[in-house]
Amino acid sequence: MKKLDKQLANAYYYTRIKHISIYLTIWFIVSFGVVAFADSLTGFSMNGMPFHYFMGAQGALIIFVALLFINAVVSDRVDRSFGIDEEANERLGSGKTLDH
Amino acid sequence: MDQQFLTSMAFIFLSFALYIGIAVYNRARQTSDFYVASRGVPPVWNGMAIAGDWMSAASFIGMAGTVMILGYDGLAYIMGWTGGYLLLTFLLAPQLRKYGRYTVPEFIGDRFDSHTARLIAAVGTMIISFVYIIGQLSGTGVVLGRLFEIDTAIATMIGVAVITVYATFGGMRGITWTQVAQFIILIIAYVVPVVFMSLQITGNPIPWLTYGDVVSKLGELDRELGISEYFAPFEQTNKAQFLALLFCLMAGTAALPHVIVRFYTVSTMKAARWSGAWALLFICMLYLTAPAYAAFSRFILMTEVAGRPFDALPAWTQSWIDTGRLKLIDQNGDGILQWSEISISNDIVVMATPEIANLGVFVVGLMAAGALAAALSTAGGLLIAISSSFAHDIYYRLINPQASEEKRLLVARVSIAVATIVAGIVALDPPGVITQIVAWAFSMAAGTFFPVLFLGVWWTRCNAQGAIAGMLSGMAVTMSYIIAARYFEFSLFGIIDTGAGIFGAPISLLATIIVSLATAAPSQKLQEEVMDLRYPEQMTYKDGEVWIHENTR
Repeated sequence: MKKLDKQLANAYYYTRIKHISIYLTIWFIVSFGVVAFADSLTGFSMNGMPFHYFMGAQGALIIFVALLFINAVVSDRVDRSFGIDEEANERLGSGKTLDH
Repeated sequence: MDQQFLTSMAFIFLSFALYIGIAVYNRARQTSDFYVASRGVPPVWNGMAIAGDWMSAASFIGMAGTVMILGYDGLAYIMGWTGGYLLLTFLLAPQLRKYGRYTVPEFIGDRFDSHTARLIAAVGTMIISFVYIIGQLSGTGVVLGRLFEIDTAIATMIGVAVITVYATFGGMRGITWTQVAQFIILIIAYVVPVVFMSLQITGNPIPWLTYGDVVSKLGELDRELGISEYFAPFEQTNKAQFLALLFCLMAGTAALPHVIVRFYTVSTMKAARWSGAWALLFICMLYLTAPAYAAFSRFILMTEVAGRPFDALPAWTQSWIDTGRLKLIDQNGDGILQWSEISISNDIVVMATPEIANLGVFVVGLMAAGALAAALSTAGGLLIAISSSFAHDIYYRLINPQASEEKRLLVARVSIAVATIVAGIVALDPPGVITQIVAWAFSMAAGTFFPVLFLGVWWTRCNAQGAIAGMLSGMAVTMSYIIAARYFEFSLFGIIDTGAGIFGAPISLLATIIVSLATAAPSQKLQEEVMDLRYPEQMTYKDGEVWIHENTR
């Protein structure tokens, strides 16, 4: 084990926090945001149905799934750029769990 | 014994033989197997098992009906039960995985180093899972009752017997692979009738592209009848209730103990993120289909069933009228059935539609097998959550820490059997429709656990006193509101029982913060354990510094 530079460790944490904040902002706008203004989004259609209905039935869900996969891919990249190795994670992870 | 009955029975029998075969094949022999399948399930399969576990009778049997009856307002369930996975995967699952405990009560007990907090969390888990399981058993009753044309109560008891057997003997490993099989069966069963209906109505077999036009047509039909359009927002409820329900379903999803325990079966934080992503992809296969199901069902009912003379109604109507959940009454006495004279329960729309659309005995039989897969897979996960709370967190950690492995496994199995039977008795006379009962469980999870888990993972200063105050106040407020709104017509801002968590969660959050700040900070060791959750497994936080394990390859 070697000591990690404090700034580098913080950089890892703040990168993750920044990404998660962006994803959750989008999540909030496409779900709560669209519902809050549903009355004024009825005028035009998407995929054959009024826009507010489309967002609730299809749009929001597709964006949710996309955000989760983007998060998984981007987090892996962030891990790699900080020199994290998944095999080591697995070894350490299985050693650390509380087994009764 | 008609042909339909025999076909449905064949489908159900074959699928059950498959689940029980898998459960017996994987019979758990050790405690660690029993709870978390030895933490070695790959993300794609784990995602599928989460999806099978997650999609309950409420999703399969109740949701499309709720969307059909409530129109736009029913979409709160669609968005709420999917959007919660973002809160779970971004804010809780990887961190809880790194902490490495079996159950939610164990995390809360160890994170706050408090047996009182552990006990409250265990009791909370049991209450929430118990409420949820009532909805599942009630769904089993709907399916089996129609199938055998017997009383729903007896049908519910048959479901109880089956679920007790395989949850008791299989444990989590049995259930992980059983749930993969159940997911595959339930998703096929759900999508097939919608594809046929799409072909029937629009001539195109891809329902996700065609039902938009049907939704617009339903709006036109409604305008001609002079009722509010199908897709008009906030006609059945109001905006505050929609937003409150959306919040409860999302925060509840992130904090449901039987869903969180699934993320302990993955190997690392990275695997937890991927499992969450795969799980939502599989879940959305059903959730994207449900609004199509609702639109087609309503279209068929409005154009092919309404408008017929009362003496020429199709045969299927009588068997559903017999169950008491479909009412056709000639109110204006003209001998013709009008749309406004059809009153159909949320809970039978999905099960009745294949018959209504005349899709044939195989599709109807497949639906019955799929609906049972949905109800039983979720019930299996819930029973594990209840039994581990009792056998592991209360019995082993609090009452008898010297208990042998055999004794703990025995206590786990007995608690599964007791929980199923008691829930079965309550489900004989269910206190609401399925989606409603299940929404109460989500409100309670949102009000009791979400704030404490969130703060426990991300805020080092959060301590045991704060967690205890948060869980107790959240639970008390949420449960009182549900009871007051359900039975005493109490309401704030037009929010009804299903949205109760919108009051519980903020109060719980505030109580946790205020009480934590007013009492002593947690020990240095506990604070360092929380700091440690910010980093991947290879980085460790110790003595105020971050250490990295070098690759030893």
